[in-house]
Amino acid sequence: MRNTGLIILLIAILITSIGILTIYSSTYQREGKLWQVIYKRQIFWVILGIILFLIVSNFNYRRLWDWTFFLYALALFLLLLVFVLGITRLGAQRWLKIGWFNFQPSELTKLIMVIFLARYFSRKSVDSFSMLVNKFGILRALILPFIFVAIPIGLIMEQPDLGSAATILFVLIAMLYLSGVRLRYIVIFLLILVLSLPILWQFLRDYQKDRLSVFLNPNIDPLGAGYTVIQSKIAIGSGGFFGKGWLSGTQSQLHFLPESHTDFIFANFAEEWGFLGSIALLLLYYFLIRQGIAISQRTSDPFGKFLALGISVMLGIQIFINIAMNMGLAPVVGLPLPLMSYGGSSILVTFISLGILANIDKTRNVF
Amino acid sequence: MRTKFFGFILTFIFLLLILGILNLNVFQGNKYQELSKKNYVRLLPQVGARGRILDRKNSIIVDNKLCYDVMIVPQETSKVDQVLMSVSRILEMDFRELKEKFRKGYTAPFAPIAIAQNIDVAKAVTLEELKFELSGVVIQPRPIRSYPYGRLACHAIGYLNEIDRWRLTKLEDYGYKTKDIVGFGGVEEKYDYYLRQEEGGLSVEVDHRGKLRRVLALRPPQSGKDIQLTLDLKVQKAVDQNLVDRKGSVIIMDPYTGEIIAMASFPNFNPAVFVDRSATSFNNLLGDPDAPLVNRAITGVYPAGSVFKLIVATAGLETGKINTAKTFLCSGSIKIGNMEFACWDTHGPQNLFAAITHSCNIFFYRTGLLVGAQTIHDYALKFGFSRPTGINLPYEAGGFVPSPLWKRIYRFKSWFDGDTANLSIGQGDLLVTPLQITRMMAVFANQGSLVTPYIIKAIDGMDISLAQQKSTNLHINPSTIDYIRQALRNVVQDPAGTAHILSILEVQVSGKTGTVQVSRGQPHAWFVGFFPYKKPRFVICVFLEHGGSGQTACLLARQIIEEIIKEKLLDLQG
Repeated sequence: MRNTGLIILLIAILITSIGILTIYSSTYQREGKLWQVIYKRQIFWVILGIILFLIVSNFNYRRLWDWTFFLYALALFLLLLVFVLGITRLGAQRWLKIGWFNFQPSELTKLIMVIFLARYFSRKSVDSFSMLVNKFGILRALILPFIFVAIPIGLIMEQPDLGSAATILFVLIAMLYLSGVRLRYIVIFLLILVLSLPILWQFLRDYQKDRLSVFLNPNIDPLGAGYTVIQSKIAIGSGGFFGKGWLSGTQSQLHFLPESHTDFIFANFAEEWGFLGSIALLLLYYFLIRQGIAISQRTSDPFGKFLALGISVMLGIQIFINIAMNMGLAPVVGLPLPLMSYGGSSILVTFISLGILANIDKTRNVF
Repeated sequence: MRTKFFGFILTFIFLLLILGILNLNVFQGNKYQELSKKNYVRLLPQVGARGRILDRKNSIIVDNKLCYDVMIVPQETSKVDQVLMSVSRILEMDFRELKEKFRKGYTAPFAPIAIAQNIDVAKAVTLEELKFELSGVVIQPRPIRSYPYGRLACHAIGYLNEIDRWRLTKLEDYGYKTKDIVGFGGVEEKYDYYLRQEEGGLSVEVDHRGKLRRVLALRPPQSGKDIQLTLDLKVQKAVDQNLVDRKGSVIIMDPYTGEIIAMASFPNFNPAVFVDRSATSFNNLLGDPDAPLVNRAITGVYPAGSVFKLIVATAGLETGKINTAKTFLCSGSIKIGNMEFACWDTHGPQNLFAAITHSCNIFFYRTGLLVGAQTIHDYALKFGFSRPTGINLPYEAGGFVPSPLWKRIYRFKSWFDGDTANLSIGQGDLLVTPLQITRMMAVFANQGSLVTPYIIKAIDGMDISLAQQKSTNLHINPSTIDYIRQALRNVVQDPAGTAHILSILEVQVSGKTGTVQVSRGQPHAWFVGFFPYKKPRFVICVFLEHGGSGQTACLLARQIIEEIIKEKLLDLQG
């Protein structure tokens, strides 16, 4: 099983290639120089991502254990920095300008939270890897990790970036489940979450409330908040079996579909490549995540086990929410499709995550 | 152990996504393909112009002109209220009214909404100049009917209006749609199928802003076919001018072919009212008790009065019940049954010639009684009464000729001699249209043939007069016709003749007057004749509703013929 890392890299390169083709198609009809260089930038990010993957996959992941608290502090620092220095785009303050590169800390935070939770639920000693969670009380099993996670989640929601916040929450739930926390606790936790939804609703921005109500019924505002979902569904639905062909999707080429190179890139792809293309893409993602879960299953080191699963869940949740959102099955939250959507932060963080996965598998083989 | 569960979850959510795609792409694919097409394909209708209506010399009677509509494309303006406000100021229209139209007309962000139609050219230019300030406002030219002569020949032509439900159910199968503009009455209705333009269209690809990307397909609009009428514009003008402010109708017809040279009915209306769509004048027209929309020349039915005596005379001579020497004494009145029937004067002894000249009632009472009601009825039918003449105009009335059998069946009453007497002088239940009377006179003018009147000369340059129904020979003895013609000439020539005032004309006119007693108000006035007497070229029929005695109709006929002679409008030499 030496080549699991290679398989992961190959699948990732395949998906990013599809992504670059789709970004090229999405910006093909756009006027302006800025649009025309977007796909080139993405190529740059992907190459950088591959390099990072190769570095990280040769870097012992167990070092992350030691860095956990530093990383956690870094994440909080960056998130706070966003509030001070962050630039605002599309009504959200999510980006830090570093030179010419807009860095999105919430992307990195997702990975850091995965590392943090993995450390929290595992123990340092490789010898006694029995998970003591069963002996943890409700305080240590539920409330403490939740508080640790709630701080960055709260900061991310304030940006606002609902998608990333939800991703971290799902990762927490998955980790709780894996750690063997009693199911009853998880159920209680979920119940409290559901019950607090009306309270959380009060904290949402107006446009987020709109998006959520539109998700329940897109027709209430077909030209406003519901527009994107309707156009996205039309794009996916009108693709036919073989698609309209590369560069020939009317929804994206004629700009009916907004954000067709970022959050709604799947709809763009599905329109031009049809049912066959979408299924193929879904299968690629499926195999990718499957590798991650398989690594988690194979790994005996609890930290690696949690880490691999956390990364898989993080990527899987993002993929699911994004594609479901494209199909109108989930509310519109600003969440990129990992490896496909244009965006340096997402691409780099995803490649680093995959690199960690590859390294977990490699290190296991070394033992 | 719990990791296994994540494998299941993963498979499950990916199956869910595949199902989602399957649902959108395969199960609902057709729907979304339609929607996607709707997104980027726009049909821009292009309207052609409706066919023009020309007179017999190809002068344009009804034309088309461009009018300008103000449209707003909602997606191209962000401040609708502001734009509407400016537009309302320029058009001097109520803001709320425009706003209401905008609200009601809204279908899609790219679909233009008409907020004002047929605006002034000057205002259109102003709006066009402010184009950059008024984003989303589009001035759309559209051909509409124009009537350079206003009310001229409005009844023969008809008017245009939005199709009504009744016409729609009738015409749906021929490709008519709701909101189509169709002809109402006259040639516009009868020949709508030829006149109407065929809508063309441009199918274009647009982007999300509605900006045109490229043209996908084009079907050029087809203009309607021009229709040439038999009407003579100048004669029609002369007729209209003389008839104005009265109630009635005038028809001038070629007695050999049945071509209508002029046809007027008053009160008339301005067909442009329907183009401008001003609701008040439209309702005024519909509610007017004088029924200006009714073409009295073909739809109005009236008692024939004395002009009907020609039928009785023909029947008498043809059946041999009277001859040219037969004389009855007119003593001013006659008792038939227990009823006293009066003549309008005391004429003394009258033969047929004198009786026609003087329009003596007594003579015709007695002739009618000799001939019998049934025979009169049969002769009336022979001359084309009691059924439409078949002119190519819609809504022609048939009129009515009573008979003993009809009275028994429908009125449950016996036919009395008094009824015969009434029928003999064209009173009673008899109802005719001016066109029928014109046609009857044409029989005497053309030596015994019943023609089918027509008003369409050519469609799209194709002469259709040959397709007209041929005239039918009534097989009346030429001597009978000759005799009555002489008598008709005498009506004008004789100083005691009822139409003597026409004798001063340069052209020899012959004809017959009629005065119809009505139960209320002034009597109806008739004059029907032909000219020139020797070689008749035209039949003229003047009918004035409640116009007074036949003299008034004669006077009007004289004015019209005078003008025709003076302006040399018609070739009277042949």
